[in-house]
Amino acid sequence: MTFSEDKMDSMAIQPWGNYALALGTSIECLGVLPWTQTSSTPETLSLGVEASPEFSCLSFKASTGHFIKAAKEGVRYGVMVNSRGTCRLRYYRDLQQQILRRHGMELYIFSIGYDGWKPPMIRYFDPPLMPVIRAGARARAKVLTIDLLEENAWHARARETTPGATSRTLEECLRELDQARTVKEIQTIKKRIPKRFAEIPVDKQKRPLKIGLLGESSVLRDKYLNHNLEEVLGTMGVEVRNFFLLGAEIRKIFNISFFSRHSRKNLRRIARPYLHNTVGGHALESVAYSILCAREGYDGVIHVAPAGCMPEVSVRPILRKVSRDFDLPLLECSFDEHASHLGVVTRLEAFVDVLQGRRKKKTS
Amino acid sequence: MNYQKLYIGIDVGSISMNLVAVNEDGDNLYEDYRRLGGDPIQAVQNGLSDLHRHFAGEEIIAGVGVTGSGREITGGVVGADVVKNEISAHAEAAIHLHPEARTIFEIGGQDSKMTVIRNRVVEDFAMNLVCAAGTGSFLDSQAKRLDISIEELSARAAESKNSVTIAGRCTVFAETDMIHKQQSGQNQRDILMGLCRAMARNFLSNVCTGKEIQPPIILQGGVSANLGIRRAFEEILECQLIIPRHNLVMGACGAALIARRQRLAETNGESRYKGRELCSRPIETRGFECSQCPNHCEIIEIIDSRKVVGRSGGRCQKWHT
Repeated sequence: MTFSEDKMDSMAIQPWGNYALALGTSIECLGVLPWTQTSSTPETLSLGVEASPEFSCLSFKASTGHFIKAAKEGVRYGVMVNSRGTCRLRYYRDLQQQILRRHGMELYIFSIGYDGWKPPMIRYFDPPLMPVIRAGARARAKVLTIDLLEENAWHARARETTPGATSRTLEECLRELDQARTVKEIQTIKKRIPKRFAEIPVDKQKRPLKIGLLGESSVLRDKYLNHNLEEVLGTMGVEVRNFFLLGAEIRKIFNISFFSRHSRKNLRRIARPYLHNTVGGHALESVAYSILCAREGYDGVIHVAPAGCMPEVSVRPILRKVSRDFDLPLLECSFDEHASHLGVVTRLEAFVDVLQGRRKKKTS
Repeated sequence: MNYQKLYIGIDVGSISMNLVAVNEDGDNLYEDYRRLGGDPIQAVQNGLSDLHRHFAGEEIIAGVGVTGSGREITGGVVGADVVKNEISAHAEAAIHLHPEARTIFEIGGQDSKMTVIRNRVVEDFAMNLVCAAGTGSFLDSQAKRLDISIEELSARAAESKNSVTIAGRCTVFAETDMIHKQQSGQNQRDILMGLCRAMARNFLSNVCTGKEIQPPIILQGGVSANLGIRRAFEEILECQLIIPRHNLVMGACGAALIARRQRLAETNGESRYKGRELCSRPIETRGFECSQCPNHCEIIEIIDSRKVVGRSGGRCQKWHT
């Protein structure tokens, strides 16, 4: 296959938070341009809601809408994760392909998942090996940089003295990262992150509340779907930790770090008293991390799931039990396309009030 | 002249605007419950102007707290010292009036909440999801359909001797069921009581799932005025409910108490309240679409004397005031 610069095709990538930037880098080696956004938009979501079955989950509706919008703009390819787990996600690619076809749209969705040694995308485009490896390295570097950025932002936002300063720094860094083309450039950006975040004026004495965010990955990551949870909580002066970090996830998939705390084996061990089998999706992780949060002295956890998410809804009763057993406050948030922003903010504010009350009681 | 220090609480909900003034000891001196009629800002202005008329210039406003779903814009309009979510505000008032309370049921126009309290501290809470079944607006629409006032509905339901079963899962089905029962010749009182029971059951199974309900239970919010609902809860839970003295305006009461606590804690500075002139000034709103990201949030700006005093509708920090 030959690629001519002026007629490059595009490939739509599911909006997966800031990681969309990194995923975009990885497919450039196939000779296609990435077409993506860091979050869903009201437009793509409403397109998705119209086209999807009513009882499918929010992530399905959002990504379907994203592909429809892409197809309308002339994008020819798309890529969608399909897990080998027991979640309905494994059928999503096929279902979305059907929906697109029924709407008369010609966008072919590739799947990343287990269906043989070579991923279908590689089989189709058959690119030379070296560029693929290089692109993989670039994408990995970007993912790790984004992880570091997020961690710094959670820490700084809870303590910042000028509201919005952290978000501005984060945005600047992400913009630079998006422009970076080589691993070296990415590394330079990564090295400067701690210094740049240290420049944000913060209240060093403050001991903010710490809340763990658990649940389904795309809602945890997509700022539009989760009503900008991280920023809303950060503005209230809460330090959050979002337990979906793609860097850690990649390591988990390839089982590179057997000894890491975050290895799947270790998480399974932690969750064992409550859950013996995988439920699919990230449900096992939700249980394990909620226990970890309790052990590490978090003030509370928020469980985030799209309405109708099978794995996460199945573990809710378990999370309630964990919450009771470890005396760890839990807020359950289910998001769908009807959720009102104000309602979400009200719940979060009240939850933060509860946690503050508990802390006051403990210290007095 | 003897000046009185007042702390005002304003609760702008979906159906009503409530206003409360408490003194430095936290005693309730003034309360006002009025239906919004679609214009929250005007309602707040009218409410405040009535308050100033009531105290006839002998008051000093030492602090203002706002709550309810309209808190964001109201806070900007009046110059609030505290903007608080309604769950915390309701709990504050309930704990202040009834320190022994362990559970709060709060049913308003569009929201219903339950709050778990242990040792005077909020331990847990739950709030209804998207569905408005089991809230005041449903009762309102049923009263309108039967062409009776909401007070009449309450009185008739309370008189029922033998309530019928109404499917309360969904308001649409509940209405169908009610019409079916009415066409088959059931007594209207019994149907209305059945509706109240369905609402109470719906509240207990939807909002309170997995939460521990322990007496003493407080029932507050607009719907707590409804005798049928009170009776339904008492029959289902088999215990007496406490209806606090200011049951309709507990949110505003809580906001006032929180403003009082906060203002007493900080020694310096004056209240940000804009004064009684505010009630007569025209306050405008202007909407535009933010185009800085693909979210395209609709931002509403509240303008008071050519100055932007508040914005709402944004999902990020960009438009915070």
